[in-house]
This record gives sequence, structure tokens and C-alpha cells, in this order.
Amino acid sequence: MKSIWENYKTDIAYDELMFSEFQPRPISHSLCQYLNSLKKNDIDKRKMAAELAIMEMGITFTVYSDEGNIDRAWPFDIIPRIIDAKEWRIIEKGLKQRLTALNCFISDVYDQQHFIKEGKIPSETINTSKNFRKECIGMKPSHNVWANICGTDLVRDKDGIMYVLEDNLRVPSGVSYMLENRVITKRVFPELLQDINILPIDDYPTQLQDMLSSIAPLPNNKPRIVVLTPGIYNSAYFEHAYLAQQIGAQLVEGSDLVVKQDDCVYMRTIEGLEKVDVIYRRIDDDFLDPEVFRKDSSLGVPGLMRAWKAGNVALANAPGAGVADDKVVYAYVPEMIRYYLNEEPILPNVPTYLCSNKEDLDYVLEHLAELVVKPANESGGYGMLVGPHSTAKAVEAFRKVIQADPRNYIGQPTLSISTAPTLCKGKLEPRHIDLRPFILQGENTFVTAGGLTRVALKKGSLVVNSSQGGGSKDTWIINREEK
Amino acid sequence: MMLSRSAERLYWLARYIERTENTAKLVSVHMNLLMDLPKGVEMGWQQLIRINGAEAVNKFYEGNKLANERNITRFLLTDASYPGSLFSSLSAARENIRTTRELLPDEAWQQVNEMYLFAKNNLETIANRRSRVLFLNEILKGCQRFTGLLSGYMSHHHPYRFIRLGRNLERADMTSRILDLASLLLSESRSDELRQYETILWMNILTALNALLMYRQHMRSRIEGDDVLNFLLLDNNLPRSISCCLLEISDCINELPNHDSLPEKLLELEAYVQAIDTHQTTQPQLRGILDDLQNKLGELHKQIADNWFLRMAVE
Repeated sequence: MKSIWENYKTDIAYDELMFSEFQPRPISHSLCQYLNSLKKNDIDKRKMAAELAIMEMGITFTVYSDEGNIDRAWPFDIIPRIIDAKEWRIIEKGLKQRLTALNCFISDVYDQQHFIKEGKIPSETINTSKNFRKECIGMKPSHNVWANICGTDLVRDKDGIMYVLEDNLRVPSGVSYMLENRVITKRVFPELLQDINILPIDDYPTQLQDMLSSIAPLPNNKPRIVVLTPGIYNSAYFEHAYLAQQIGAQLVEGSDLVVKQDDCVYMRTIEGLEKVDVIYRRIDDDFLDPEVFRKDSSLGVPGLMRAWKAGNVALANAPGAGVADDKVVYAYVPEMIRYYLNEEPILPNVPTYLCSNKEDLDYVLEHLAELVVKPANESGGYGMLVGPHSTAKAVEAFRKVIQADPRNYIGQPTLSISTAPTLCKGKLEPRHIDLRPFILQGENTFVTAGGLTRVALKKGSLVVNSSQGGGSKDTWIINREEK
Repeated sequence: MMLSRSAERLYWLARYIERTENTAKLVSVHMNLLMDLPKGVEMGWQQLIRINGAEAVNKFYEGNKLANERNITRFLLTDASYPGSLFSSLSAARENIRTTRELLPDEAWQQVNEMYLFAKNNLETIANRRSRVLFLNEILKGCQRFTGLLSGYMSHHHPYRFIRLGRNLERADMTSRILDLASLLLSESRSDELRQYETILWMNILTALNALLMYRQHMRSRIEGDDVLNFLLLDNNLPRSISCCLLEISDCINELPNHDSLPEKLLELEAYVQAIDTHQTTQPQLRGILDDLQNKLGELHKQIADNWFLRMAVE
């Protein structure tokens, strides 16, 4: 019988689980032993069991297409990704450090702007950022935290080092999939989870609830919390509903809320209007309040900004927090850590060329075929160029796009992001992965044990976004010492 | 605390699940009835559509020439373009629960989703009788599991009351339509040969409403049309009788906030039903009464919607 590992290649990039076709890394020893003990059709059966569970649990995401909105099953790979707890503790510390500095920076931007005045970042960079909201100047959210929920994308390069790829500070999604992935793994490999010491992740909803309660405008044991969703047609609607249910909050749409003359937010209930204290909003700033931002938005709540500024309702994340979620601002995060915290960054950034700098722009244009170039304010992997994977024609087309709007583009070396064994047609093959841990910050700071591992299911592809053919894996942080 | 929008969606979720179950039951009982009748008697497949109103009849003849078993079961069970079909009801139930998941036990969503996926993957199997029976049984079981797990896992608070409200309004409506079906079938089967099958017809009507055993225990005599009508309209203990559904509705309404004048309206409706004298009515009169009852149930729905679902203006 052929082994599922046959011809497994570990020379494409750093492989998270394997040294070579025959030799697992110490952390994946038990997993590999277990997988080898299964018969081939056993593995296929587990895969089918996982797919069935996903269908039944209705874990989906919505994809927009010509045929209307399609609800797709969440693509899941049953082989977990494993990280040593020793390494994880350092990453966790690095993430807390990073988000603390980012929140100091956002507070500063909407207050005294010391960072700008001391020349640490050009003022144009802030003023021209799409996500800088002048309406937020002077606001002081609870605990001086603007980005309460952050999803930071990490990738490991061939040198084995984890780099921060980007910080998602607006409405990061994926945490529900992280939670559901573990539920599915428990169903599919119950024996395995019994024998390996994996850090649990299911306290996330409790932590989220605590964090949201901690930012309520008035000290209150039971603040009224709602999750504000753009509605069923949003690609992350499943997650909005899931989280609302997990934290016992109401899932509301814009039309369920109303701001009255007293500048308080109320929801329309069967008993009349009821006051709302905290809104976990999953709507972008632009659509939040048609009185202030986009006038044509029917998703938001007229007067919401008024209520927020009057201090009558907490919004997580605070409007304007996205100013730090700009890929140009990203380049300055290490400096923020030094400036605000007086510490050295624990997690490195990927070297970044800012096309707004003449020198950097020239470099980027010269090396376009080798670099990854991204727009400053897009998410979901849209509008980017991966030089080595693009045709010469596409590269030239992109050159014009950059030249037309250099402020809006950054270049980064194409990393050789790490791989992990992934089940492809009954065989294991290396596929590129990243990691999105979630960090909560309110009164306290919390980091999920691991995060959402996304995997590019297409051979050779580096794009892990679910909207672009990516899938996901369960992520195990393993305590080896305690075994 | 409950959002008006959620109240509306739960109410419709319950209505659609009830409609799914009732449609499955109706088709399966009708198949059963046909098997009991003498060969060559094609007793009213088209009546199954007629009881759903003139729109349903028009819609059916838009897409079908013949009102035979094959076309009618396909129309009633799997036609996604007919909003009253079993599959449309189930899809609508799923859409409603998808947007109210946070209010219900996890199992509720999984149950509806599983049932929907089952139906979607087995639409073709209804073409032949044997696999149609299996299909319908699976759906009936699924609906019962859903109702049972809500009853057992969910607090019986406001959200649950809106579910009960929707379920009982739909149920009352369906019971009135099934009685309508009985009177239609009777009026077209005046031949002596068919008259002897009247008892079988009434037995099947009782079965369609899961009431046969209860009827026997209650009446302890042979099955008579008038008695059956009486039982299905007026019995206060039979879950699918009109009267019992109204009591359930009234119970929910009284416990919901801001019920305004609804309790009084309901008392009127209950009195109206209790005043129906089935022993004194002729076939056409009965059909008139049932029509009237359906209209009154429609009005009741409007009042419920006005009271709790419509968005209140900003004070």
C-alpha cells in the first residue's frame, strides 16, 4: 500500500510539520504516528465525516457571483497545523505588545498627534489615509482603546521566523471558523485529541463578552450588547450570527436601531424601544452612519456617531480605528512600539517599500516582477500583484496602476511562506498557510490560543483568502513539557 | 427583550415548518386514501390544489396540463416556483432560522438545515410512490424533531411564544383547509358506489390531522361526518382542532407585552367558532363557513403583524 506521505516535498518552503518526507518535527510526532496508523480509506472517511459535519452545522460563507449570492460550505482541511507552546508564548507576547502600541498610536492620532509632530510619520500619510476620520478627533473611548478586536496575519518565511503581514483593525473576521474548526476536529479525531495536550480555544466567546462589557459607557454589570450586521448577504453573516449567539447578544441590523433626540441608541423590540449600551459592529465606518459618512448607506443607523460622541454608546471597534489598518501605516508599527512602549518589537514586520517615497517607488517599479504589491486599504486579497506568479502583461498593467496612485501602494519581497501537509485527493501535499490570531483589548488584553490557519488549497498558490479559493485548518498549540 | 424583527422571523419560521409538515401529511394521507378506494376512481388529486386557493390553481395550470398524481405531487412537494410547495416552505423556514439562529438552541438550526439538505438532495425521489412515502416520512419526522426539541430545549419565553403563535395560526388555517377538502370530495362523490366509502374518507381526514385515535377514544362510536366535523372544529383538547389552536393563540397573546385589543378579538373569534352548528349545515353552507373562518384567520395574522412586527415610528 502506498503511504499518504509518498513524495511529500519539504523543499518548497519551511514546512510546519515535517523535516522531510520521512521525518516529522518533534511537535508533530504524535500526529504523524496516528495518521500512519490509519488505513487510507479511514482517512477518506474522516474527511467525509468532516464535510458532512460542516454541511449539517451550516458553516458557510457567502460568495458574490453572477448567479446571485451563493452560500458555500466552508472548505476545511482535517490535518491540523501545530505550533509549539514555547514558541506561541513569545508570539502571544508580541501580539499584545503590538496591539497596545497600535492603540496608543490611534489615540495619539485623534488627540495630540505627538508621533506626527515628532516626525516619526509624515502627516500626509495620516491625512491622506482613507480610514482617517476627522470626525473622531477629540474622542476618548474607554481605556483609550480604539481597536478592541484585532486579527493579525502572521506568516513564516523560509528562515523559520514568523512575520506580521498585516493588522486587521476594522472588522476582522474568521474567529467563528477557528472555533468551529476545533468542534469538527473533536468529532473527526476524538482519539487523537485525548492523547495530545492542546490548549483550548473555546473561551473566546466569554472573553469577547467580558471585553465588550468592559467598554460599556456606564459601569454596569449587565450592559445591553448587540452585534450589528449588514445582514444576510454579507460574506461573514454566519459569523455575526454565531458570535451573537455565543455571547448572548442581540443580532441587529441597522433598521433595528434608532437614535432618539436624547442621543441614545435604542432597539425596536416587541415591548417598545430599549436602550443599547455596547455595539459590536461588523459594518465598515463608511456605512455606519449616513448622517456623517456615506449618505446612501441603508445599512447603518442615522445619528449613531452623535450617540457615540456623546458617550452614550460604545462602538467596537471605534470608528476611525482603521487609520492604523493602512498598509502604509503598517510600516511604522515597529517605530510605534519603540516610541510609545519603549520596547523593541518582539514580532518583526515584513520589509516594506512605500511607494509614496520616491526612492522606494523606483525600487518597486524596477523589481515589480519579484515583489508583492498591495493596495493600502483593501482586504480579502483583492487588487494585489504577486510578481513572480504574474504574466509580464499583468505586471506592466499593474505598473500603471501604481504610478497613478503611489500613496496607495506598498511593495514587499515575495516571502516563501511556510507549508503544512494538506489532504489532497487522498494524499498529503504541502500547501502554503498563514495564521490569523485574534487579539481582544478592553480593560484587559487577551490573545486566542493559536488562531485561524488559512491554507491556499491550490497547488503553489500563496493566496489563502476564502473568497479566493482558500480553506482552513484547525490550529493546535501543543504543550510538550507537560506531557 | 426581543427585537420586533426577530419576533416576525420566528413567527414565520414556525408557520413554514408547520406548513411543511402539513403538506407532507396531506399528500401522504391522500395517497393512502386512494389506495383504499376502488380501482378506477380517480378521487380528486386536483382538490389538493383547490384547497390552497385560486392562486395555487392558476399557478398549477401555468406549468401543467394534466391534474394527475405525478404533476400534482411534484407541484405540491418540490416545485420551487410555487411558494406554497413543501420545498418552498422548507427553504423559507431555513431562511428565517438562518437569521434568528442566535435565539434558538443550536440543534434547531441543525435540524432545519439537515432537513433542507435532505429534501434538496432527494427531490427526484418523489416521482414514484414507494420512495415518495419514504421522503414524506423523513420530512414528517424532521418537523416533529424540530417541534420537540424546541419544546424541550428552549425557555418558554417570548421568542417561544411567537413560535407557538405562528405554529397554531398555520395549523388552524390548515385544519380549515382539510375540512374544506372533505366537503369538496364529498360533494363530487355523490354516486352510491362512492357513498359507501364516506367512512373511509372521514377516517383519512382524521388521520391527516393525527386525530383518528383521539376521535375514537372521545366518541366511542362509529365514524360519522357530522361528528368528525364537530370534533375537528370544536374540541378543546385535540391539538389540531380549530378551537384548540385558538386557545393556544389566545394563551400566547395574553402573555405577550402590548397585546392591546387582541385578547378581545380572540374571544370573539372563539365564540364564532363555538357557534358553528355542524348538524344543521348543508355542504355549501359549510364551505361558506370555512371560507369565512380562513378570512378571519387572515385578519388575525394582520393584527398580530401590526401589533408586534411593524416598525414603530420614532417617538
